Amino acid sequence: MKNVLSIAVNVIKDAARKKVFYVVFLFGLAIVALSPLLPTFDLGARAQFLRDISLSLTSLFGVVLAVILSVSQIPGEVERRTIYNILSKPVSRLQYLVGKYLGIMVSIAAILLVMGLEIVLLIFIRLHVFTPLIFEGVFAVFLECAVIAAFCVMLSTFATVPVNAFAAVLFYLVCHVKTGFLHQKLVEGAFGVGKVFTWALYYVIPNLEDFNLSQPVGYGGGAGAAYMLRLTAYALLFVVIFMVAAYLVFRSKDL
Amino acid sequence: MEKPAVTLNNIKKSYRTGLRMKRKVAVEDLSLDVTRGDIFGLLGPNGAGKTTTIKVLLGIVFPDEGNGSLLGCPLGDRKAHERLGFLPEQPYFYNFLTAEKGLVLYGKFFGLEHRLLAKRTPELLDLVGLRQDSHLTLDKYSKGMLQRFGIAQALLNDPDLVIMDEPSSGLDPLGQKEVRDILLQLRERGKTIFLSSHQLSEVETICSSVSIVNMGRTVKQGRLDDLLAVRGMTRIIFKGEDPAALDALIPVASDVEQSDGRTVVDVETDVTFRALETAHGLGMEMISATPLRLSLEELFLETIRETAG
Repeated sequence: MKNVLSIAVNVIKDAARKKVFYVVFLFGLAIVALSPLLPTFDLGARAQFLRDISLSLTSLFGVVLAVILSVSQIPGEVERRTIYNILSKPVSRLQYLVGKYLGIMVSIAAILLVMGLEIVLLIFIRLHVFTPLIFEGVFAVFLECAVIAAFCVMLSTFATVPVNAFAAVLFYLVCHVKTGFLHQKLVEGAFGVGKVFTWALYYVIPNLEDFNLSQPVGYGGGAGAAYMLRLTAYALLFVVIFMVAAYLVFRSKDL
Repeated sequence: MEKPAVTLNNIKKSYRTGLRMKRKVAVEDLSLDVTRGDIFGLLGPNGAGKTTTIKVLLGIVFPDEGNGSLLGCPLGDRKAHERLGFLPEQPYFYNFLTAEKGLVLYGKFFGLEHRLLAKRTPELLDLVGLRQDSHLTLDKYSKGMLQRFGIAQALLNDPDLVIMDEPSSGLDPLGQKEVRDILLQLRERGKTIFLSSHQLSEVETICSSVSIVNMGRTVKQGRLDDLLAVRGMTRIIFKGEDPAALDALIPVASDVEQSDGRTVVDVETDVTFRALETAHGLGMEMISATPLRLSLEELFLETIRETAG
Protein backbone atom coordinates (compact mmCIF):
# COMPACT_ATOMS: atom_id res chain seq x y z
CA MET A 1 0.00 0.00 0.00
CA LYS A 2 2.91 2.34 0.80
CA ASN A 3 4.21 2.00 -2.75
CA VAL A 4 0.78 2.79 -4.17
CA LEU A 5 0.55 5.91 -2.00
CA SER A 6 4.08 7.05 -2.86
CA ILE A 7 3.31 6.76 -6.58
CA ALA A 8 -0.04 8.53 -6.12
CA VAL A 9 1.56 11.42 -4.21
CA ASN A 10 4.13 11.75 -6.97
CA VAL A 11 1.36 12.00 -9.58
CA ILE A 12 -0.28 14.78 -7.55
CA LYS A 13 3.03 16.65 -7.25
CA ASP A 14 3.57 16.31 -10.98
CA ALA A 15 0.05 17.60 -11.64
CA ALA A 16 0.72 20.58 -9.38
CA ARG A 17 4.00 21.24 -11.20
CA LYS A 18 2.18 21.18 -14.54
CA LYS A 19 -0.15 23.80 -13.05
CA VAL A 20 -3.30 21.77 -13.83
CA PHE A 21 -4.75 23.05 -10.58
CA TYR A 22 -4.99 26.47 -12.23
CA VAL A 23 -8.06 25.07 -13.95
CA VAL A 24 -10.06 25.95 -10.82
CA PHE A 25 -9.29 29.63 -11.34
CA LEU A 26 -10.30 29.37 -14.97
CA PHE A 27 -13.50 27.70 -13.86
CA GLY A 28 -14.19 30.45 -11.33
CA LEU A 29 -13.66 33.07 -14.01
CA ALA A 30 -15.97 31.18 -16.39
CA ILE A 31 -18.91 31.00 -14.00
CA VAL A 32 -18.45 34.63 -12.92
CA ALA A 33 -18.39 35.58 -16.60
CA LEU A 34 -21.63 33.68 -17.18
CA SER A 35 -23.52 35.17 -14.25
CA PRO A 36 -24.55 38.39 -16.08
CA LEU A 37 -26.63 36.08 -18.31
CA LEU A 38 -28.89 35.27 -15.36
CA PRO A 39 -32.61 35.80 -15.84
CA THR A 40 -33.45 38.99 -13.98
CA PHE A 41 -36.97 38.45 -12.63
CA ASP A 42 -37.37 35.12 -10.81
CA LEU A 43 -35.04 34.11 -7.95
CA GLY A 44 -35.90 30.42 -8.35
CA ALA A 45 -35.18 30.49 -12.08
CA ARG A 46 -31.94 32.34 -11.48
CA ALA A 47 -30.75 29.78 -8.91
CA GLN A 48 -31.80 26.93 -11.19
CA PHE A 49 -29.98 28.46 -14.14
CA LEU A 50 -26.79 28.99 -12.13
CA ARG A 51 -26.82 25.43 -10.71
CA ASP A 52 -27.49 23.94 -14.12
CA ILE A 53 -24.91 25.90 -16.06
CA SER A 54 -22.19 25.64 -13.42
CA LEU A 55 -22.64 21.86 -13.12
CA SER A 56 -22.38 21.53 -16.91
CA LEU A 57 -19.20 23.57 -16.78
CA THR A 58 -17.88 21.43 -13.92
CA SER A 59 -18.50 18.34 -16.00
CA LEU A 60 -16.70 19.84 -19.00
CA PHE A 61 -13.67 20.96 -16.96
CA GLY A 62 -13.57 17.69 -15.02
CA VAL A 63 -13.65 15.49 -18.11
CA VAL A 64 -10.97 17.54 -19.89
CA LEU A 65 -8.85 17.35 -16.77
CA ALA A 66 -9.35 13.58 -16.44
CA VAL A 67 -8.24 13.09 -20.04
CA ILE A 68 -5.24 15.43 -19.73
CA LEU A 69 -4.08 13.81 -16.50
CA SER A 70 -4.50 10.21 -17.57
CA VAL A 71 -3.62 9.88 -21.26
CA SER A 72 0.09 10.53 -20.86
CA GLN A 73 0.81 9.04 -17.44
CA ILE A 74 2.25 5.73 -18.61
CA PRO A 75 3.44 6.56 -22.17
CA GLY A 76 5.10 9.70 -20.75
CA GLU A 77 6.99 7.70 -18.14
CA VAL A 78 8.05 5.11 -20.71
CA GLU A 79 9.23 7.84 -23.08
CA ARG A 80 11.15 9.64 -20.33
CA ARG A 81 12.31 6.23 -19.05
CA THR A 82 11.57 7.22 -15.45
CA ILE A 83 9.52 4.03 -15.23
CA TYR A 84 12.66 1.85 -15.44
CA ASN A 85 13.98 3.17 -12.20
CA ILE A 86 10.63 2.72 -10.44
CA LEU A 87 10.15 -0.86 -11.62
CA SER A 88 13.74 -1.74 -10.66
CA LYS A 89 12.64 -1.10 -7.07
CA PRO A 90 10.37 -3.57 -5.24
CA VAL A 91 7.32 -2.03 -6.92
CA SER A 92 4.96 -4.36 -8.77
CA ARG A 93 3.31 -3.32 -12.00
CA LEU A 94 -0.07 -3.55 -10.28
CA GLN A 95 1.06 -1.16 -7.54
CA TYR A 96 2.40 1.19 -10.19
CA LEU A 97 -0.85 1.15 -12.16
CA VAL A 98 -3.10 1.57 -9.12
CA GLY A 99 -0.84 4.31 -7.72
CA LYS A 100 -1.03 6.23 -10.96
CA TYR A 101 -4.81 5.94 -11.09
CA LEU A 102 -5.20 6.89 -7.44
CA GLY A 103 -3.00 9.97 -7.95
CA ILE A 104 -5.08 11.05 -10.93
CA MET A 105 -8.34 10.61 -9.02
CA VAL A 106 -7.15 12.43 -5.90
CA SER A 107 -6.02 15.35 -8.10
CA ILE A 108 -9.40 15.42 -9.84
CA ALA A 109 -11.27 15.13 -6.52
CA ALA A 110 -9.35 18.09 -5.07
CA ILE A 111 -10.08 20.24 -8.10
CA LEU A 112 -13.77 19.27 -8.24
CA LEU A 113 -14.13 20.00 -4.54
CA VAL A 114 -12.80 23.53 -5.02
CA MET A 115 -15.04 23.97 -8.07
CA GLY A 116 -18.07 22.88 -6.01
CA LEU A 117 -17.16 25.38 -3.29
CA GLU A 118 -16.80 28.09 -5.91
CA ILE A 119 -20.32 27.39 -7.20
CA VAL A 120 -21.86 27.35 -3.72
CA LEU A 121 -20.05 30.59 -2.89
CA LEU A 122 -21.06 32.30 -6.14
CA ILE A 123 -24.72 31.36 -5.76
CA PHE A 124 -24.66 32.51 -2.17
CA ILE A 125 -23.06 35.85 -3.06
CA ARG A 126 -25.29 36.51 -6.05
CA LEU A 127 -28.62 35.16 -4.81
CA HIS A 128 -28.18 34.66 -1.04
CA VAL A 129 -29.20 31.03 -1.49
CA PHE A 130 -27.19 28.25 0.16
CA THR A 131 -27.07 25.21 -2.19
CA PRO A 132 -25.00 22.34 -0.75
CA LEU A 133 -26.98 20.06 -3.09
CA ILE A 134 -24.56 21.10 -5.79
CA PHE A 135 -22.07 18.58 -4.35
CA GLU A 136 -24.38 15.74 -5.37
CA GLY A 137 -23.90 16.84 -8.96
CA VAL A 138 -20.17 17.39 -8.43
CA PHE A 139 -19.88 13.87 -7.03
CA ALA A 140 -21.60 12.50 -10.14
CA VAL A 141 -19.07 14.41 -12.26
CA PHE A 142 -16.31 12.85 -10.17
CA LEU A 143 -17.71 9.37 -10.87
CA GLU A 144 -17.87 10.14 -14.58
CA CYS A 145 -14.25 11.33 -14.47
CA ALA A 146 -13.32 8.10 -12.65
CA VAL A 147 -14.73 6.02 -15.52
CA ILE A 148 -13.07 8.15 -18.20
CA ALA A 149 -9.71 8.20 -16.39
CA ALA A 150 -9.80 4.40 -15.98
CA PHE A 151 -10.57 4.04 -19.69
CA CYS A 152 -7.63 6.33 -20.56
CA VAL A 153 -5.27 4.50 -18.20
CA MET A 154 -6.26 1.23 -19.85
CA LEU A 155 -5.60 2.66 -23.29
CA SER A 156 -2.32 4.21 -22.18
CA THR A 157 -0.91 0.76 -21.46
CA PHE A 158 -0.65 0.12 -25.19
CA ALA A 159 -1.60 3.26 -27.18
CA THR A 160 0.37 6.41 -27.87
CA VAL A 161 -0.72 9.72 -26.35
CA PRO A 162 -2.42 11.15 -29.49
CA VAL A 163 -4.28 7.88 -30.17
CA ASN A 164 -5.29 7.69 -26.53
CA ALA A 165 -6.55 11.31 -26.47
CA PHE A 166 -8.55 10.78 -29.68
CA ALA A 167 -10.03 7.53 -28.35
CA ALA A 168 -10.93 9.24 -25.07
CA VAL A 169 -12.89 11.98 -26.86
CA LEU A 170 -14.62 9.36 -29.01
CA PHE A 171 -15.42 7.28 -25.92
CA TYR A 172 -16.91 10.34 -24.21
CA LEU A 173 -19.09 11.20 -27.19
CA VAL A 174 -20.29 7.64 -27.83
CA CYS A 175 -21.05 7.09 -24.15
CA HIS A 176 -23.12 10.27 -24.07
CA VAL A 177 -25.14 9.70 -27.22
CA LYS A 178 -25.76 6.01 -26.63
CA THR A 179 -29.10 6.47 -24.83
CA GLY A 180 -30.48 8.50 -27.70
CA PHE A 181 -28.95 7.24 -30.89
CA LEU A 182 -28.30 3.58 -30.05
CA HIS A 183 -31.60 3.14 -28.25
CA GLN A 184 -33.42 4.48 -31.29
CA LYS A 185 -31.49 2.05 -33.50
CA LEU A 186 -32.46 -0.84 -31.23
CA VAL A 187 -36.10 0.20 -31.21
CA GLU A 188 -36.12 0.67 -34.96
CA GLY A 189 -35.04 -2.94 -35.12
CA ALA A 190 -31.85 -3.34 -37.10
CA PHE A 191 -31.16 -6.92 -38.26
CA GLY A 192 -28.29 -9.38 -38.26
CA VAL A 193 -24.76 -8.26 -37.45
CA GLY A 194 -25.88 -4.64 -37.21
CA LYS A 195 -28.36 -5.48 -34.49
CA VAL A 196 -25.84 -7.55 -32.52
CA PHE A 197 -23.28 -4.77 -32.81
CA THR A 198 -25.80 -2.13 -31.74
CA TRP A 199 -26.99 -4.32 -28.89
CA ALA A 200 -23.40 -4.92 -27.75
CA LEU A 201 -22.57 -1.24 -27.90
CA TYR A 202 -25.73 -0.28 -26.06
CA TYR A 203 -25.30 -2.68 -23.18
CA VAL A 204 -21.52 -2.95 -22.89
CA ILE A 205 -20.40 0.66 -22.99
CA PRO A 206 -21.14 2.86 -20.00
CA ASN A 207 -23.95 5.34 -20.19
CA LEU A 208 -22.23 8.55 -19.19
CA GLU A 209 -25.46 10.52 -19.57
CA ASP A 210 -26.53 8.92 -16.27
CA PHE A 211 -23.85 11.00 -14.55
CA ASN A 212 -25.35 14.26 -15.76
CA LEU A 213 -27.35 15.58 -12.82
CA SER A 214 -27.65 19.14 -14.10
CA GLN A 215 -31.42 18.94 -14.25
CA PRO A 216 -32.33 17.25 -10.94
CA VAL A 217 -29.77 19.35 -9.07
CA GLY A 218 -30.71 22.42 -11.11
CA TYR A 219 -34.38 22.08 -10.10
CA GLY A 220 -33.30 21.72 -6.49
CA GLY A 221 -34.69 18.24 -5.84
CA GLY A 222 -31.54 16.22 -6.36
CA ALA A 223 -31.27 12.64 -7.56
CA GLY A 224 -31.72 10.95 -4.19
CA ALA A 225 -29.50 8.66 -2.14
CA ALA A 226 -30.63 5.44 -3.81
CA TYR A 227 -29.80 6.77 -7.26
CA MET A 228 -26.42 8.02 -6.07
CA LEU A 229 -25.59 4.60 -4.60
CA ARG A 230 -26.55 2.88 -7.84
CA LEU A 231 -24.51 5.41 -9.80
CA THR A 232 -21.48 4.80 -7.58
CA ALA A 233 -21.75 1.04 -8.05
CA TYR A 234 -22.21 1.51 -11.80
CA ALA A 235 -19.06 3.70 -12.02
CA LEU A 236 -17.07 1.30 -9.84
CA LEU A 237 -18.02 -1.60 -12.10
CA PHE A 238 -16.53 0.11 -15.15
CA VAL A 239 -13.49 1.37 -13.24
CA VAL A 240 -12.75 -2.19 -12.13
CA ILE A 241 -13.29 -3.60 -15.64
CA PHE A 242 -10.99 -1.00 -17.24
CA MET A 243 -8.31 -1.31 -14.56
CA VAL A 244 -8.29 -5.11 -14.71
CA ALA A 245 -7.95 -4.88 -18.50
CA ALA A 246 -5.15 -2.33 -18.04
CA TYR A 247 -3.33 -4.68 -15.68
CA LEU A 248 -3.73 -7.68 -17.95
CA VAL A 249 -2.05 -5.76 -20.77
CA PHE A 250 0.54 -4.01 -18.61
CA ARG A 251 1.73 -6.97 -16.53
CA SER A 252 3.49 -8.65 -19.46
CA LYS A 253 4.29 -5.60 -21.56
CA ASP A 254 7.89 -4.97 -22.61
CA LEU A 255 8.81 -1.43 -21.65
CA MET B 1 27.74 -23.73 -2.39
CA GLU B 2 26.33 -20.21 -2.58
CA LYS B 3 24.22 -19.51 -5.64
CA PRO B 4 25.58 -16.93 -8.11
CA ALA B 5 24.31 -13.38 -7.67
CA VAL B 6 23.12 -13.33 -11.28
CA THR B 7 22.42 -16.18 -13.67
CA LEU B 8 21.06 -16.02 -17.19
CA ASN B 9 20.55 -19.18 -19.21
CA ASN B 10 20.13 -19.11 -22.98
CA ILE B 11 18.15 -15.89 -23.04
CA LYS B 12 16.52 -14.98 -26.30
CA LYS B 13 14.69 -11.72 -26.85
CA SER B 14 13.29 -10.18 -30.01
CA TYR B 15 11.13 -7.14 -30.65
CA ARG B 16 8.58 -6.43 -33.35
CA THR B 17 9.54 -3.35 -35.33
CA GLY B 18 8.31 -1.36 -38.29
CA LEU B 19 4.97 -1.38 -40.04
CA ARG B 20 5.27 -5.04 -40.94
CA MET B 21 6.01 -5.85 -37.32
CA LYS B 22 9.06 -7.82 -38.38
CA ARG B 23 10.93 -9.41 -35.50
CA LYS B 24 14.35 -7.99 -34.70
CA VAL B 25 16.50 -10.16 -32.49
CA ALA B 26 18.16 -8.19 -29.69
CA VAL B 27 19.52 -11.14 -27.72
CA GLU B 28 20.02 -14.49 -29.43
CA ASP B 29 21.53 -16.89 -26.94
CA LEU B 30 22.93 -15.19 -23.91
CA SER B 31 24.14 -16.94 -20.80
CA LEU B 32 26.14 -15.59 -17.91
CA ASP B 33 26.95 -16.15 -14.26
CA VAL B 34 28.07 -13.53 -11.80
CA THR B 35 29.72 -14.78 -8.62
CA ARG B 36 28.75 -13.07 -5.38
CA GLY B 37 31.23 -10.44 -4.26
CA ASP B 38 32.55 -9.87 -7.78
CA ILE B 39 32.68 -6.74 -9.86
CA PHE B 40 31.41 -8.04 -13.17
CA GLY B 41 31.70 -6.18 -16.46
CA LEU B 42 29.28 -6.69 -19.34
CA LEU B 43 31.05 -5.56 -22.50
CA GLY B 44 30.02 -5.33 -26.09
CA PRO B 45 29.74 -2.95 -29.02
CA ASN B 46 26.64 -0.79 -29.51
CA GLY B 47 23.61 -2.94 -30.31
CA ALA B 48 25.21 -6.07 -28.86
CA GLY B 49 22.32 -6.60 -26.46
CA LYS B 50 23.72 -5.17 -23.22
CA THR B 51 20.78 -2.89 -22.40
CA THR B 52 18.26 -5.60 -23.29
CA THR B 53 20.14 -7.97 -20.99
CA ILE B 54 19.86 -5.49 -18.13
CA LYS B 55 16.17 -4.94 -18.87
CA VAL B 56 15.62 -8.70 -18.74
CA LEU B 57 17.40 -8.83 -15.39
CA LEU B 58 15.21 -6.06 -14.01
CA GLY B 59 11.94 -7.51 -15.32
CA ILE B 60 11.37 -4.51 -17.60
CA VAL B 61 11.22 -6.78 -20.63
CA PHE B 62 10.38 -10.47 -20.70
CA PRO B 63 12.57 -13.02 -22.50
CA ASP B 64 11.07 -15.07 -25.35
CA GLU B 65 13.14 -18.05 -24.23
CA GLY B 66 15.52 -18.93 -21.43
CA ASN B 67 15.49 -18.23 -17.74
CA GLY B 68 17.61 -16.81 -14.98
CA SER B 69 17.86 -15.73 -11.40
CA LEU B 70 18.73 -12.67 -9.41
CA LEU B 71 20.12 -13.11 -5.90
CA GLY B 72 18.72 -16.64 -5.86
CA CYS B 73 15.19 -15.57 -6.89
CA PRO B 74 13.65 -16.18 -10.31
CA LEU B 75 13.68 -13.20 -12.68
CA GLY B 76 10.82 -10.82 -11.98
CA ASP B 77 10.56 -11.79 -8.29
CA ARG B 78 10.12 -8.51 -6.37
CA LYS B 79 11.91 -10.01 -3.34
CA ALA B 80 15.20 -9.82 -5.20
CA HIS B 81 14.54 -6.16 -5.96
CA GLU B 82 14.53 -5.35 -2.25
CA ARG B 83 18.27 -6.12 -2.24
CA LEU B 84 19.00 -4.59 -5.60
CA GLY B 85 20.32 -1.18 -6.60
CA PHE B 86 20.07 0.09 -10.17
CA LEU B 87 21.67 2.98 -12.00
CA PRO B 88 20.04 3.53 -15.42
CA GLU B 89 22.15 4.15 -18.51
CA GLN B 90 21.21 7.77 -18.74
CA PRO B 91 19.88 9.07 -15.51
CA TYR B 92 16.12 9.50 -15.92
CA PHE B 93 14.45 10.70 -12.76
CA TYR B 94 11.50 12.89 -11.79
CA ASN B 95 13.17 16.18 -12.51
CA PHE B 96 10.67 18.24 -10.54
CA LEU B 97 12.00 16.75 -7.30
CA THR B 98 15.03 17.96 -5.39
CA ALA B 99 17.81 15.44 -4.82
CA GLU B 100 16.72 15.09 -1.21
CA LYS B 101 13.06 14.51 -2.06
CA GLY B 102 14.02 12.17 -4.88
CA LEU B 103 16.00 10.01 -2.47
CA VAL B 104 13.10 10.02 -0.01
CA LEU B 105 10.68 8.93 -2.77
CA TYR B 106 12.91 6.10 -3.99
CA GLY B 107 13.71 5.13 -0.40
CA LYS B 108 10.03 4.70 0.38
CA PHE B 109 9.78 2.06 -2.34
CA PHE B 110 12.21 -0.01 -0.29
CA GLY B 111 10.03 0.47 2.77
CA LEU B 112 12.71 2.54 4.52
CA GLU B 113 11.38 4.30 7.58
CA HIS B 114 11.42 8.09 7.78
CA ARG B 115 14.09 8.12 10.49
CA LEU B 116 16.42 5.87 8.52
CA LEU B 117 15.88 7.91 5.37
CA ALA B 118 16.62 11.12 7.25
CA LYS B 119 19.96 9.61 8.26
CA ARG B 120 20.85 7.91 4.99
CA THR B 121 19.91 10.72 2.61
CA PRO B 122 22.60 13.21 3.73
CA GLU B 123 25.16 10.39 4.02
CA LEU B 124 24.61 9.37 0.41
CA LEU B 125 24.54 12.96 -0.82
CA ASP B 126 27.89 13.45 0.92
CA LEU B 127 29.24 10.27 -0.63
CA VAL B 128 28.47 11.46 -4.16
CA GLY B 129 29.35 15.09 -3.47
CA LEU B 130 25.87 16.58 -3.90
CA ARG B 131 25.14 17.73 -0.35
CA GLN B 132 25.48 21.42 -1.19
CA ASP B 133 23.15 21.14 -4.19
CA SER B 134 20.58 18.89 -2.54
CA HIS B 135 17.96 21.67 -2.42
CA LEU B 136 18.00 22.13 -6.22
CA THR B 137 15.45 20.37 -8.38
CA LEU B 138 16.95 17.72 -10.64
CA ASP B 139 16.15 19.69 -13.79
CA LYS B 140 18.84 22.16 -12.66
CA TYR B 141 21.47 19.41 -12.48
CA SER B 142 24.20 18.81 -15.05
CA LYS B 143 24.59 15.36 -16.58
CA GLY B 144 27.42 14.56 -14.21
CA MET B 145 25.38 15.65 -11.19
CA LEU B 146 22.44 13.51 -12.32
CA GLN B 147 24.83 10.58 -12.63
CA ARG B 148 25.98 11.17 -9.07
CA PHE B 149 22.36 11.36 -7.92
CA GLY B 150 21.72 8.12 -9.80
CA ILE B 151 24.52 6.43 -7.88
CA ALA B 152 23.16 7.73 -4.57
CA GLN B 153 19.65 6.41 -5.24
CA ALA B 154 21.10 3.06 -6.34
CA LEU B 155 22.71 2.67 -2.92
CA LEU B 156 19.71 3.75 -0.80
CA ASN B 157 18.77 0.27 0.36
CA ASP B 158 22.37 -0.82 1.03
CA PRO B 159 21.92 -3.37 -1.79
CA ASP B 160 23.63 -6.74 -2.08
CA LEU B 161 23.72 -6.38 -5.85
CA VAL B 162 24.17 -3.14 -7.76
CA ILE B 163 23.45 -3.06 -11.49
CA MET B 164 24.99 -0.06 -13.20
CA ASP B 165 24.61 0.86 -16.84
CA GLU B 166 27.58 3.06 -17.81
CA PRO B 167 28.29 4.36 -14.30
CA SER B 168 30.98 6.84 -15.39
CA SER B 169 28.99 8.32 -18.25
CA GLY B 170 29.06 12.13 -18.14
CA LEU B 171 31.56 12.30 -15.31
CA ASP B 172 34.85 14.20 -15.41
CA PRO B 173 38.06 12.28 -14.61
CA LEU B 174 37.79 13.20 -10.93
CA GLY B 175 34.17 11.99 -10.84
CA GLN B 176 35.18 8.77 -12.62
CA LYS B 177 37.84 8.14 -10.00
CA GLU B 178 35.32 8.77 -7.22
CA VAL B 179 32.89 6.29 -8.79
CA ARG B 180 35.66 3.69 -9.06
CA ASP B 181 36.48 4.22 -5.39
CA ILE B 182 32.81 3.81 -4.43
CA LEU B 183 32.61 0.56 -6.41
CA LEU B 184 35.79 -0.77 -4.81
CA GLN B 185 34.46 0.14 -1.35
CA LEU B 186 31.26 -1.74 -2.13
CA ARG B 187 33.25 -4.80 -3.19
CA GLU B 188 35.24 -4.64 0.04
CA ARG B 189 31.91 -4.78 1.87
CA GLY B 190 31.04 -7.97 0.00
CA LYS B 191 28.60 -6.42 -2.46
CA THR B 192 28.24 -7.71 -6.00
CA ILE B 193 28.45 -5.19 -8.81
CA PHE B 194 27.21 -5.77 -12.33
CA LEU B 195 28.25 -3.02 -14.68
CA SER B 196 27.86 -2.43 -18.34
CA SER B 197 30.49 -0.09 -19.69
CA HIS B 198 32.26 1.06 -22.82
CA GLN B 199 35.18 2.33 -20.75
CA LEU B 200 37.50 -0.63 -21.08
CA SER B 201 40.27 0.89 -18.98
CA GLU B 202 37.80 1.35 -16.11
CA VAL B 203 36.57 -2.23 -16.45
CA GLU B 204 40.13 -3.55 -16.58
CA THR B 205 41.00 -1.62 -13.42
CA ILE B 206 38.11 -2.74 -11.25
CA CYS B 207 36.40 -5.82 -12.67
CA SER B 208 37.31 -9.31 -11.57
CA SER B 209 35.28 -11.03 -14.29
CA VAL B 210 33.76 -10.01 -17.60
CA SER B 211 31.46 -11.21 -20.29
CA ILE B 212 31.82 -9.99 -23.86
CA VAL B 213 28.64 -10.07 -25.89
CA ASN B 214 28.30 -9.52 -29.59
CA MET B 215 25.23 -9.74 -31.79
CA GLY B 216 23.17 -10.94 -28.85
CA ARG B 217 25.44 -13.83 -27.89
CA THR B 218 27.96 -14.36 -25.14
CA VAL B 219 31.22 -14.75 -26.99
CA LYS B 220 33.70 -14.70 -24.12
CA GLN B 221 33.29 -14.96 -20.39
CA GLY B 222 35.50 -15.60 -17.40
CA ARG B 223 37.86 -14.22 -14.78
CA LEU B 224 39.63 -11.21 -16.21
CA ASP B 225 43.10 -12.48 -15.22
CA ASP B 226 42.47 -15.77 -17.04
CA LEU B 227 41.11 -14.07 -20.15
CA LEU B 228 43.95 -11.57 -20.43
CA ALA B 229 46.78 -13.99 -19.71
CA VAL B 230 48.53 -15.28 -22.82
CA ARG B 231 49.14 -18.85 -21.71
CA GLY B 232 52.73 -20.09 -21.71
CA MET B 233 54.26 -16.73 -22.60
CA THR B 234 56.49 -14.42 -20.55
CA ARG B 235 57.46 -10.82 -21.24
CA ILE B 236 61.00 -9.81 -20.21
CA ILE B 237 62.00 -6.17 -20.26
CA PHE B 238 65.69 -5.16 -20.34
CA LYS B 239 67.32 -1.76 -20.00
CA GLY B 240 68.99 -0.39 -23.14
CA GLU B 241 68.71 -0.80 -26.91
CA ASP B 242 71.56 -2.94 -28.24
CA PRO B 243 71.35 -4.16 -31.89
CA ALA B 244 73.63 -7.07 -30.98
CA ALA B 245 71.13 -8.16 -28.33
CA LEU B 246 68.38 -8.06 -30.92
CA ASP B 247 70.27 -10.51 -33.11
CA ALA B 248 71.14 -12.76 -30.17
CA LEU B 249 67.58 -12.89 -28.73
CA ILE B 250 65.63 -13.39 -31.95
CA PRO B 251 66.34 -17.17 -32.11
CA VAL B 252 64.83 -17.78 -28.62
CA ALA B 253 62.10 -15.11 -28.59
CA SER B 254 58.69 -15.00 -30.20
CA ASP B 255 58.91 -11.25 -30.45
CA VAL B 256 61.60 -8.65 -29.73
CA GLU B 257 61.15 -4.89 -29.79
CA GLN B 258 63.51 -2.06 -28.92
CA SER B 259 62.20 1.41 -28.18
CA ASP B 260 62.40 4.17 -25.57
CA GLY B 261 65.70 2.82 -24.24
CA ARG B 262 64.18 -0.61 -23.50
CA THR B 263 64.26 -4.02 -25.08
CA VAL B 264 61.00 -5.94 -24.74
CA VAL B 265 61.22 -9.68 -25.35
CA ASP B 266 58.25 -12.08 -25.44
CA VAL B 267 59.32 -15.69 -24.97
CA GLU B 268 57.69 -19.03 -24.35
CA THR B 269 57.78 -19.50 -20.60
CA ASP B 270 59.93 -22.66 -20.74
CA VAL B 271 62.74 -20.84 -22.57
CA THR B 272 62.70 -17.84 -20.23
CA PHE B 273 65.89 -19.01 -18.51
CA ARG B 274 67.70 -19.42 -21.83
CA ALA B 275 66.72 -15.91 -22.89
CA LEU B 276 67.87 -14.51 -19.56
CA GLU B 277 71.24 -16.28 -19.89
CA THR B 278 71.71 -14.90 -23.41
CA ALA B 279 70.91 -11.38 -22.27
CA HIS B 280 73.13 -11.73 -19.23
CA GLY B 281 76.00 -12.82 -21.49
CA LEU B 282 75.55 -9.57 -23.41
CA GLY B 283 75.62 -7.57 -20.19
CA MET B 284 71.95 -6.51 -20.38
CA GLU B 285 70.21 -5.46 -17.19
CA MET B 286 66.72 -6.96 -16.63
CA ILE B 287 63.89 -4.66 -15.46
CA SER B 288 61.08 -7.22 -15.17
CA ALA B 289 59.89 -10.66 -16.22
CA THR B 290 56.11 -11.20 -16.01
CA PRO B 291 53.54 -13.49 -17.56
CA LEU B 292 52.51 -11.96 -20.87
CA ARG B 293 49.08 -10.29 -20.60
CA LEU B 294 46.88 -8.65 -23.18
CA SER B 295 45.16 -5.37 -22.45
CA LEU B 296 41.37 -5.61 -22.19
CA GLU B 297 41.13 -3.40 -25.26
CA GLU B 298 43.22 -5.89 -27.25
CA LEU B 299 41.11 -8.80 -26.02
CA PHE B 300 37.88 -6.94 -26.73
CA LEU B 301 38.83 -5.89 -30.26
CA GLU B 302 40.21 -9.33 -31.08
CA THR B 303 37.04 -11.04 -29.78
CA ILE B 304 34.69 -8.72 -31.63
CA ARG B 305 36.66 -9.12 -34.89
CA GLU B 306 36.66 -12.91 -34.53
CA THR B 307 32.90 -13.01 -33.98
CA ALA B 308 31.88 -10.26 -36.37
CA GLY B 309 31.42 -12.44 -39.41
